[in-house]
Amino acid sequence: MHDSTLKLTLRYLVSILIVGIFVFPIAWWGLTSVKPISAVFDKDRIVVFDFEPTLENYRVTVLGYSKRGSKEDGKTLMGTSGNNSYDGRSSIVSSVIVAVGSTLITTIFALLASYGLSRMRFWGSQGYLNWILSQRFLPPVAIIVPLVFIFHDMGLRDTHAGLIIAHTLINIPIAVLLLKSFMDDIPIDIDQAAMIDGATRFQCFWMVILPMVKGGLAATAVLCFVFSWTEFLLSLFLTSSIRTIPVKITTYVTSTGSEWGYISALGTSAILPSFIFILLVQRHLVRGLTMGAIKD
Amino acid sequence: MGSVTIQNLVKRYGGLEVLHGIDLTVEDGKFVVLLGPSGCGKSTLLRMIAGLETVSSGDIAIGEQRVNDMHPKDRNIAMVFQNYALYAHMSVRENMAFSMRLKKTAQAEVDERVNWAASILSLEPYLDRFPKELSGGQRQRVAMGRAIVRNPDVFLFDEPLSNLDAKLRVQMRKEIKELHQRLKTTTVYVTHDQIEAMTMADQVVIMRDGVIEQIGTPLDIYDNPDNLFVAQFIGSPGMNLLSGEIVQGAGGKMFQTGDVTCELPQNSAAMVGQKVLYGIRPEHLQASMQGSGLSATVTVVEPTGPEIHLYATLAGHEICAIAHQRLDWKPDDELKLNPMVDRVHLFDAETKVAIPAG
Repeated sequence: MHDSTLKLTLRYLVSILIVGIFVFPIAWWGLTSVKPISAVFDKDRIVVFDFEPTLENYRVTVLGYSKRGSKEDGKTLMGTSGNNSYDGRSSIVSSVIVAVGSTLITTIFALLASYGLSRMRFWGSQGYLNWILSQRFLPPVAIIVPLVFIFHDMGLRDTHAGLIIAHTLINIPIAVLLLKSFMDDIPIDIDQAAMIDGATRFQCFWMVILPMVKGGLAATAVLCFVFSWTEFLLSLFLTSSIRTIPVKITTYVTSTGSEWGYISALGTSAILPSFIFILLVQRHLVRGLTMGAIKD
Repeated sequence: MGSVTIQNLVKRYGGLEVLHGIDLTVEDGKFVVLLGPSGCGKSTLLRMIAGLETVSSGDIAIGEQRVNDMHPKDRNIAMVFQNYALYAHMSVRENMAFSMRLKKTAQAEVDERVNWAASILSLEPYLDRFPKELSGGQRQRVAMGRAIVRNPDVFLFDEPLSNLDAKLRVQMRKEIKELHQRLKTTTVYVTHDQIEAMTMADQVVIMRDGVIEQIGTPLDIYDNPDNLFVAQFIGSPGMNLLSGEIVQGAGGKMFQTGDVTCELPQNSAAMVGQKVLYGIRPEHLQASMQGSGLSATVTVVEPTGPEIHLYATLAGHEICAIAHQRLDWKPDDELKLNPMVDRVHLFDAETKVAIPAG
């Protein structure tokens, strides 16, 4: 009895420690975003909680108030016309458009490709998979210069569509590989049973395989979304007026200093949409969707 | 309408030929079991009938219709897979109704068919459950239900019982047989389990390395194996085999191995001097503790309940006899064995083909 209590306590302690290690940076970031500048840059001590919290950083970056106008009494909304270079609203919108768009396109393409690769034998199917994967061997920075030219010539530079395409291209290999492994877990007997039951290839995919691979699809979508949401390099080079959040944040590092308050405020706000997205799909993120289909 | 005719069927994977010219006719309403060791091509043959494998050459017909190039869904067959292959995201009812849903059958008829199948298979209480909430036997029944609702011309079973435990297997074996007696649908059933084949089949097809070794009723195959492979494959414990030659004895032709000689059936076609394998099933070796007969030494005694398996050495050969009397057999005991002469099988030592008894 005593032994098991000790074990349980230890187990909790270790869990709390590990969770703490992961949560601390985010919590500190969140805390920084509500600190006045004096609390962020206190050279004598580390300010943890003893400061007067302020929402100024959020007013400027997320609500679009101008830097000065957001001071306590200010109600003037100067930043909304574009004068406020710290206004992060349009970059949040851009990030959402790009991330949702590229996630949607990636998962649709990857779903069809992985079904084909998992279920159909065709000449070169093995080599094909390696070829898809090889698209990720090269770091994106190595192709950035030709990519900028190509996108420019095609009129895709500095457009949402262009960035969506770029992110889709980067995401597809991983998404295909991941989804294929989920599809491979579903025995081919299920497809064959469906076809004997009278299903066409498409009906088999749509009515039988797709519902069974839902969990894998959700996992893939989350990965793609998070990648696109946090992607920096391609966004930096392929856009100039459209600014996704990671690129926008770097503009807060100016010649006159880093605006830690704004950086942390926009950074903390940026967690929210991806958090909501993951919440939406996580109920599908359960293992064992194929349970019961075959002898375990 | 539900017969299956296979003519000179060949299956190749690239350069590898796995079925070498199979000829087989399954008559309408019959229960045919394809039996053989793993890798013999029995599942491939079944899958070709189903349309899940392409035909390299030869013909398959269901009823009068040649189906070589027909999509599985157009063959009006139903198949039960070894691992059930249920649709995990659908309830039992939806699993069974799936094929009719694809055909856009009227809901009333779907309900009627599903309820009919569920009542036959005792699945009524489980219709709204999901496969993961069912036991292995229930899942197997759902797989069968999915097959029977369609009223197919032919049932195909691919080792459906091999994932079940021994007790359930016996029960499901009986259920499948009852189902067949009731529905009288032509059935092709693949198994590597000879007990399943013997107990369920109207006709057993024994396969090895892509060819059919023998076709016959279970008892015919057991009593009159065409060759050594069939003789060894069927029966447990297996047939005893002694290698030796035919000699001329006082009362006619005799079999001799070492200093042991055994009588042969009258009119045996074996020729004097011919090298042969002498086969006798364990239950056709009458064992006694004394009296006349071949002398053997007991090595292992295995009581199974209804009978006792006696393993012994006879002239350097390992043999097995089945005794029904509950005598106190012990290792190293001397044993007297009397083969039942009319149950002796002879196989040519070179061709391994059975030598006719007369």
